[in-house]
Amino acid sequence: MGKGQRATQVYKSTEFIEQRRDEDGLVVGSDPFKLAPSSSASLLETEKAAAAAAAATTTTESAETAASPDAAAAAAKHSGERTSELDTVPTFILVTTYLSYLMLIVFAHLRDFFGKLRHPEEYVQLREQNGWAPMVSDFESLWTRRLYGRIRDCFNRPITGVAGGHVDLLERVSHDFNKSFEFTGRVRNVLNLASYNYLGFAQSEGPCADKVEAAMREHGLTQASTRAEAGCSQLLVETEEMVARFVGTEAALIVSMGYATNALNIPALVGRGCLILSDELNHSSLVSGARLSGASIRVFRHNDVASLEAELRRSITQGQPRTHRPWKKILVVVEGLYSMEGEFCRLPEIVALRRRYGFYLFVDEAHSIGALGKRGRGVCDHFGVNPHEVDVLMGTFTKSFGAAGGYIAGSRALVSHLRLKSHSAVYAEAMSVPVLAQVSSSMRMIMGEDREHALEGQQRLDQLAVNARYFARRLAEMGFMTMGDAGSPVVPLLLFSPAKIPAFSRECLKRNVAVVVVSYPATPIITGRVRFCISASHTRADLDYALEQVSEIGDLLMLKFHKGDASAKRVAELEGASRIKTE
Amino acid sequence: MESQPAPGEVAGNDSSRGLLRTAWDFSFRMVLRYIKNSYKDDPFRTFLEVCLIAFIIWYITKQKYNIGNNEIVLSEKEIDELVEEWNPEPLVPELTAFERETLEKAIVIDGPNGTRVRLASGSNTKPLINFASYNFLGFLDNPQIEEHAYETLRKYGVGSCGPPGFYGTLDVHMELEKQVAAFVGHSAAILYSQAFTTTLSVIPCFSKRGDIIVADEGVNFSIQQAIMLSRSKVHWYKHNDMADLERVLNEVNVQLTNRRGKKALPRKFIVTEGLFQNTGDIAPLDELVDLKHRYKFRIILDESYSFGVLGKRGAGLTDHYSINPHEVDLLIGALCYAIGASGGFCCADKELVEHQRLSGLGYCFSASMPGILTVAASDAIQVLETNPDNYLVSMRENATLLRSLLKRIPGLQVEGDTDSPLIHIRLTPETLVRMKRSGGAWTNTDIDRVLVELTEEAQKDGVLLTPSRYVDEHERLLPNSSIRICVSSAHTRKEIEKCAHAVKSAVSRITSKKR
Repeated sequence: MGKGQRATQVYKSTEFIEQRRDEDGLVVGSDPFKLAPSSSASLLETEKAAAAAAAATTTTESAETAASPDAAAAAAKHSGERTSELDTVPTFILVTTYLSYLMLIVFAHLRDFFGKLRHPEEYVQLREQNGWAPMVSDFESLWTRRLYGRIRDCFNRPITGVAGGHVDLLERVSHDFNKSFEFTGRVRNVLNLASYNYLGFAQSEGPCADKVEAAMREHGLTQASTRAEAGCSQLLVETEEMVARFVGTEAALIVSMGYATNALNIPALVGRGCLILSDELNHSSLVSGARLSGASIRVFRHNDVASLEAELRRSITQGQPRTHRPWKKILVVVEGLYSMEGEFCRLPEIVALRRRYGFYLFVDEAHSIGALGKRGRGVCDHFGVNPHEVDVLMGTFTKSFGAAGGYIAGSRALVSHLRLKSHSAVYAEAMSVPVLAQVSSSMRMIMGEDREHALEGQQRLDQLAVNARYFARRLAEMGFMTMGDAGSPVVPLLLFSPAKIPAFSRECLKRNVAVVVVSYPATPIITGRVRFCISASHTRADLDYALEQVSEIGDLLMLKFHKGDASAKRVAELEGASRIKTE
Repeated sequence: MESQPAPGEVAGNDSSRGLLRTAWDFSFRMVLRYIKNSYKDDPFRTFLEVCLIAFIIWYITKQKYNIGNNEIVLSEKEIDELVEEWNPEPLVPELTAFERETLEKAIVIDGPNGTRVRLASGSNTKPLINFASYNFLGFLDNPQIEEHAYETLRKYGVGSCGPPGFYGTLDVHMELEKQVAAFVGHSAAILYSQAFTTTLSVIPCFSKRGDIIVADEGVNFSIQQAIMLSRSKVHWYKHNDMADLERVLNEVNVQLTNRRGKKALPRKFIVTEGLFQNTGDIAPLDELVDLKHRYKFRIILDESYSFGVLGKRGAGLTDHYSINPHEVDLLIGALCYAIGASGGFCCADKELVEHQRLSGLGYCFSASMPGILTVAASDAIQVLETNPDNYLVSMRENATLLRSLLKRIPGLQVEGDTDSPLIHIRLTPETLVRMKRSGGAWTNTDIDRVLVELTEEAQKDGVLLTPSRYVDEHERLLPNSSIRICVSSAHTRKEIEKCAHAVKSAVSRITSKKR
C-alpha cells in the first residue's frame, strides 16, 4: 500500500479546502476551488467531508486493489460487450440526417450557381485568373462557404479572462449571415462546459498562480532558444523529472506545444521501413507525426482489438510490400481517452498483444492524463497497467493542468535519444517559464507533494470523477443518447441532424451555457454531437442548471431518442462499469 | 424531464410503417406477375435471365485480382511461427560516445535567460555573457514587460484550456493579431502557439498534393518538414542564387504549358527564408518579387528570424527592402525569438487568414497561446514600434563590430550578411587540415567535437556560445557545422569585444593543440 497511505497521512496534518457536499458527493455553493484554505482547526469537518468524498467516489478501494488484473480484464470485457450506440439509432433518424446533408449540399450548389450568375465578382478568387491558380479551390471551399458559414457563430467564440467553471464571453452579432461579426461590447458570464479544464486548474488566483508569479520573478518569462541549444533551464530539468515521477517512468521530455509533441517526436522514433498501426480516430497531430516520419501507415478499426491483431498478424508475416522484407519496427499508436467519443482505449488487451507480438506501443494521453485513474495518472492508472508496459507515453498539459504544451515519457534511453534527435528538442522553442511553473505547481498538488495543499489535488480528482459520473448518468436517465465510457470527463451527446447542431449550441448560449458542438469532418458524417467537458470546479448547482437546460433543449429539438428500456439499459451500463471497479 | 413519447409521433411511425408494407406488397406482386407472364410467353428468355443473374452473383463474389498485391497465403501455424521469429530493431538506437558527451555537457541555465546568464552545471558560478539565445533586442530581460506579465497572470491565468475554435480565443489574441498585421503592414494575421509549427501548418494548408513548390536549398528545417507534409511537388534552387531560381521557374512553367489541357493549373509557390537561420544570409526580396510577377509564382516567406530584426522599423524583410508587404502572399513570423514571447504568426490577405482558422492544423488542433505570452509579445512589439532606433541601431552596430572583429581572427570563417545579427563561425578547412597532424580525414563528429571544445574554451572566458544543432540524418542537406552567435542590442561594446577576444583565444588554443 505505498503511496496512497502515505498521502492520506499527509492530508490529515495539513489544511484542506472546506466544502459542503450533498448525498451525491457534489459540491454545494460557489466554485469549490476558489476558496482559500481554511485553518486546520476544523479537522473534524475535514474528516467528515473526506469520508463523504470517499463514499461518493465509487472507487473506495486503493489503486492497487482496483488494479488487479481480474478487475481490469472484467472492465475491459464489459466495454467490449457493449453494443455500439449506432446500432440503436432509429432508422428514421439515420435517413433524415442523410437527407438533410443531401439537401444542404444541393442548396449549397444551387446558391453557388445563382451566386455566380448574379455576382460573378464575388467568385473571382475561386477561379484561375490570368495564369494564377486560385489559392483555395472552388470545390474545397464549398463546405466552408456554404455549410460551415451557416454555423460559424457557434465556433471561435472569443472569451476574456480565465476559462474556468464559468467563462466571460464577448458578445458578438452578425448582420451579414455570419460573414463578419461585430462586438456589442457586452460581456456575458456563462457556465463553461466546453473547456478542457478537467481539474479546475485554469485559475488566475490561488496557490498555483502564486507559484507561477514567483517563478516568473525568479526565472523571467521565456528562453528564446531551443532545448538542445541554450533554452534548457534548471526549472525545465526539474519539471521533466517531476513529470517522469508523476507518470511513473524513468524520464520525460517536455515540449512547448501539444500538437508538436506528436508531430515532431514520432519522426524521431520510426522511419522508412517501419510500420505505424494507427487507430482510425486518432488525433490530427498523430496523423501529421506519422506522415512526417516517412513510415508506412496502416489503420485499424476504432478501439477494435481484433482488427488490430489481424492487422498485426498480416503485417508481421507479410513484411514490407513487394520485397517482403521484415518490418524494422512496428509502432502501435492509440489514444488513452478519445476526446470526441469519450471512450477509453482498451489498454489491458493491447498490452497483452504487445507482449505477444513485440511491437512498440505509443499511447497519447492528451485528455486522460490527470483526469483518469484514482491518482490521476491517466489511463494506465485507470486500468491498473504498469506504465513500463507502454513504450512511449505522451500527454499534454493543456487540459488537466491548466497550462500548455506536452511531454513524452518513457525509458531513459528513449528520452535521451529524443533530447538529441527529436525535432521539437532541437528546432522548436523551449517551454516558457510561467507554463513550466503552472505544470509543476499543479502536478505537485495532484501528487499531494505540496505540503500546504496536500489534500486539494486528491479532492479535485475525486470531485471530477463524481461530477462526470453524475452528469453522464443524469443525461442517460433523461433519455439522451450519450457516448463514452463511465467516468470519462468528456460526455458526448448525439445530435445527428445537421440542423440540430447549431440549434443546440445557440439554445445553450441563450441559456448561458457554453458548449462545443462538432460535426463532420471532425466526426463521421452521421454522428454530429455536442460534447460536454466536465470539470472539478463545477458545483451541484452548475451541473443541475446545465442538465435542466439541456433537458429543455432536448425536448425542443426532439433529442431524447432512448425511451424507457433503452434509457434504463444505458444507465445500468454506466453504473455497471463503476460497480466492476469497486468489486 | 420524463420522456413520454408524444402520441402524434407514435401514430406517425405506425402509419409510415403501414405505407411501407403496402408498397412492398405491391411491388412484390408486380414482380411475380411479370415472371409468370414472361414464362408463359417465352421460357427461353427466363432461362437467359436466370443465367445472367447467376453470372452477376458469381462475378461479384469471386476473388478479386489485385495487381499490387503479392501476399502469401499462410496457415495459422506458420503465422504463429513467423510472429515468434520476428525480431524488431530496438525502439531507439544506443547512444554513441559523442552523443552521450553532448547530453552530459548540455547547457543548463539556472535563473532567467537573458544577456547575462548563470549556468547550473559546472563549477562556474560567474555569470556568462549570452551569445547563444536569439535575444536580438534584449526583450528577454525587459522589466517593463515582466511587470505587465504579472498583472496579466491575474486576469488570464496561464493555460487557455482549449483550441481557438472551442473557446480558446482570447480578446488579447485578437488584439495581437491586429497589432502584428498593422506593424507588418499586411491585411490580417493569425497566431499559432509555436514558431516551428507555424511554418509546418501554413505551407500544407495552401500547397496540396499536385501543387508546385520551388524552394531555396538553404531553408531551415521547419520549412523542409512543411514541404514534406504538404506532399507537393518540390524543386530546389541553389541557395540565394536568383539566376538558378529563374532557371527552375522557367523549367516548371515550360513543363506546365506542355502538360496543360484538361488538368487545372496547380498553385505555384516560391518558398524561402528572410534571414536564413543556417547561414545568416538575407534573401534578395526585390528580385524575388520581380520573378514572382514574371513567372506567376506566389511567395511564402519565413521571417521567423528576421521579424523584429531587419528593416528600419524592425518589421522584417519587406521593411528592409521597403517593399509593399502585400507582395508576399504568405508571410510567416515568429514571436519567440527577437520578440521574446512565444509562438508565431502568419500575415496574409483576410480570406487566406480565415481559411487557416479552419485548415491550419496547428491552429485547429492545439491549444491557443497563453494570455501572458500574448500580452508580452504585444508589449514588446509596442516598445519596438515606439522606439525602434533604441534597439535596432545598437543591435546593428554591435553586429557590425563583432563581425569585423571576428573576421580579423586567423583560421576563422565568418558567414552571414553584413546586416545580420546572426553570425555563423567555423574553422577554415585549411586550419582543420593543419590541425590534423596525423593526416587522417575529418569526420563530421570530429568537427563537431572541435566546435564543442571551442565553446567550452569561450565559457572559461565568460562567454556563452552554442554550436548550431541539427538532427543530422533528417536534414535534406546537412549544413556545415558551425557556432551560431546571436548579437543583441543589450550587449555593450565591451561585451562584444570580450566575445571576440574569447573566440580568438579559444581558436588559438584549440588550433595549437596536437591531435
